[in-house]
Amino acid sequence: MWLLRVKAVAGKELWALLRQPQLLLLLLVGPVLIMVAFALSFQLENVKPRAVVVVEPGSDGEEIFERFKRRFTIRTRFQGTVASLEKADRMLKNDETDAVIVIPPNPSESVLQGEQAVLEVRYDTINPIFGTTVPNRSNGLILDLNESIVREGVARELQDADTARQAVSDLNRQLERVNQAAEDLASPEAQAATEELDSTLKELEETLELLELAESDDGEEDVSRALEQTRETRELLDEFQAAQEEGGEAIEDRTGITELENQLSLLEQTVSGVPSGVSARVLVNPFRLKLENLAPFTPEAVGFYAPATLALLIQHIAFSLASLAIVRERLSGAYEFFEVSPLGPGELLAGKFLTYTGLIFGVNLAVAGVLAGALQIPIRGGLVKLGVAMMLLTLASLAAGFLVSTLSRSRLQAIQISMLAFIASGFFAGFLFPLDELRQPAQSLSYFLPATYGIRALQDVMIRGQWPATSDFLGFVVIFVISLVAARLLMGRKKV
Amino acid sequence: MGVIEVKRLVQDFGSDRVLKGIDLTVEEGEIFGLIGPSGAGKSTLMRVLTGYLPPSEGEVKVFDRAPATFNADDRRLLGFMPQGFVLYESLSVRQNLNFVAGLYGLKLLRRIRRVREVLEFVELWDDRRKTAAKISGGMQRRLQLAAAIVHEPRLIFVDEPTANLDPILRRKFWEEFELLRDAGRTIFVTTQYVSEAEQCDRVGLLSDGRLIATGTPAELRRKAFEGETIELVLGGDPGHIGEKLAALENVGHVVEVREENGDNGDEDKVSRARLVVDDADVALPKVFEALNGADVRSADLLNPSFDEVFFRLVQNG
Repeated sequence: MWLLRVKAVAGKELWALLRQPQLLLLLLVGPVLIMVAFALSFQLENVKPRAVVVVEPGSDGEEIFERFKRRFTIRTRFQGTVASLEKADRMLKNDETDAVIVIPPNPSESVLQGEQAVLEVRYDTINPIFGTTVPNRSNGLILDLNESIVREGVARELQDADTARQAVSDLNRQLERVNQAAEDLASPEAQAATEELDSTLKELEETLELLELAESDDGEEDVSRALEQTRETRELLDEFQAAQEEGGEAIEDRTGITELENQLSLLEQTVSGVPSGVSARVLVNPFRLKLENLAPFTPEAVGFYAPATLALLIQHIAFSLASLAIVRERLSGAYEFFEVSPLGPGELLAGKFLTYTGLIFGVNLAVAGVLAGALQIPIRGGLVKLGVAMMLLTLASLAAGFLVSTLSRSRLQAIQISMLAFIASGFFAGFLFPLDELRQPAQSLSYFLPATYGIRALQDVMIRGQWPATSDFLGFVVIFVISLVAARLLMGRKKV
Repeated sequence: MGVIEVKRLVQDFGSDRVLKGIDLTVEEGEIFGLIGPSGAGKSTLMRVLTGYLPPSEGEVKVFDRAPATFNADDRRLLGFMPQGFVLYESLSVRQNLNFVAGLYGLKLLRRIRRVREVLEFVELWDDRRKTAAKISGGMQRRLQLAAAIVHEPRLIFVDEPTANLDPILRRKFWEEFELLRDAGRTIFVTTQYVSEAEQCDRVGLLSDGRLIATGTPAELRRKAFEGETIELVLGGDPGHIGEKLAALENVGHVVEVREENGDNGDEDKVSRARLVVDDADVALPKVFEALNGADVRSADLLNPSFDEVFFRLVQNG
């Protein structure tokens, strides 16, 4: 007999819903339209901010900009250069651009004075989450620019290092020769050769200084030692030059020739340890990042958000319908009528559950079909897994909605609570932000929302192609059982 | 034993005492009218009787069982027509009734038959396809009545069925109640229209949570006026009439004497007197005997309105 009563309630609910074509249309078409609109409007390409560059024509800054133009423009939708900061600021204010990159007129001068040149990036946003695009891209720009400049310098200096290595070797040979005839060392030819050697050693010293800056920790020792020895060699060469100017006797009086000779041999050995045949790119960036994503499939942005959006929609529709179900009967007086009839609270709940579950499940399966068919959203786990996940989410959301309905004192209150649940799900169920990034007690709050488990379950099914995790199954079951038992108990309480 | 037995029923809502020691018996096959002003506690008493509210104190038995402990089988014996329209405006008349028949467990064939019978009974069969939103307030009430009787209950609770209805529709409802009563149903009906007490087999007057009187309409009238009232119209000299009226004190109690001008002015003056007697049928011959020789123009049994009866009973406490 109870089955007849449950059937009567289910039938009544079904007819009542079917008699509201607008509601059905809204239930079916609403989610599809939302998903389609989302799919059509979401595009990552437009995430690049628009940018103008402020640079003084004919300045050192302009030369830098022209030299590294690609670096300046690759991360933005480059709109051109302007000479005036005021004009650029106006564009920023009028939302004609998103970022203004200000290149200083004389960056080299600052660097030569031992100060960093300042590359200013101006932007105007109040969004603390998604407003980080410009700062992030600016950081990328400055890293890229610095790297490009250093790489260019290192490449040039590496060539110089080869030349210096050759020069040291030549000088060593020269010294061997002149050592045999000391009087020749004071000749003008020898003095010219010594000057040339000094000049070469000076270049070597500069090169090694740059290499020392660019070297990684591992290679730093060789370069530093070579640099130290170059400086010592130059000091000895200075003394040698002074002796040369005084004449052959002075050179003979000194034992420094042998010392210089030994020093040059030592330098030759050490300089041979300095990297050669290594590209500037490797020297500047000895490490390269290799990322490996073990996920079986990486969807497009729409494909990633579709399961979460679907989960939110299922929860919201189920929660809204259920949250109004009991409070409406109570306020209309029907509940009193039911109380006098043989219909029990459990049978009333069961009847409503049957109809709502069927309707929501059917509607959302159709929505999923549209997503898969028209929008090419992947359902990698197949329809059975998707059906199970959607059914569990529907049941848990309905149960929670029925509990809210038994607690609500007015329809407005029920609607407000379902809206709050929807908004809370947006923030705390993993839709906008990953749950791990939430602090307590927000993370605990998420456990009470069916969408928390729904989003993960639908992502598992649709993207990873696997069954939802056991913890999510348990989450659904716990919410379903606790909410339903509480709703049933509250419905049976005394009315005094 | 009555269908409904209530002893010393008290109903509290927090610190507010709504029913203050009700004793009541309703017999099977009668129309029992619970009459009282708005806020007297009629709906609360009905809610206790239907089992919707458990009593705070006292004993309540319906079909010899406490309504608060009714099971589904017990509830099938009851029909309930609430004050407002509580069915579904988006459903048709027939769908609404089908739903209620389903709640009471009527199987398909019986349901089809009963839905038709009942809709014909309340004259809504021709409107069966209309949604409840599209029918008038009076028709909605009749649909609600149909919902209360579709499962052929033995006891029907009807809460303010005629409130805000026009007199013709009200009359129609009472005719339907009488038909149901004649078919063996017991009807417990509340109303704030005191005049409707005339339609009931027995009436209970509820005022401020107290049942101040119960009985048939005639019994309540007698109770209100401490007997039956005979109105006499006498012509002739008032002084002479005074003597005659004094003689009537042996038959009953003269409660009111009024002089009125006749159609021809002072020359045709009459005296109108009201005499309360225990039983008019027995007293009338004695009245004429006592008034022997007087100019008796008329002697009628007065039927005071139930408003007046109610007013007097409330006043008497």
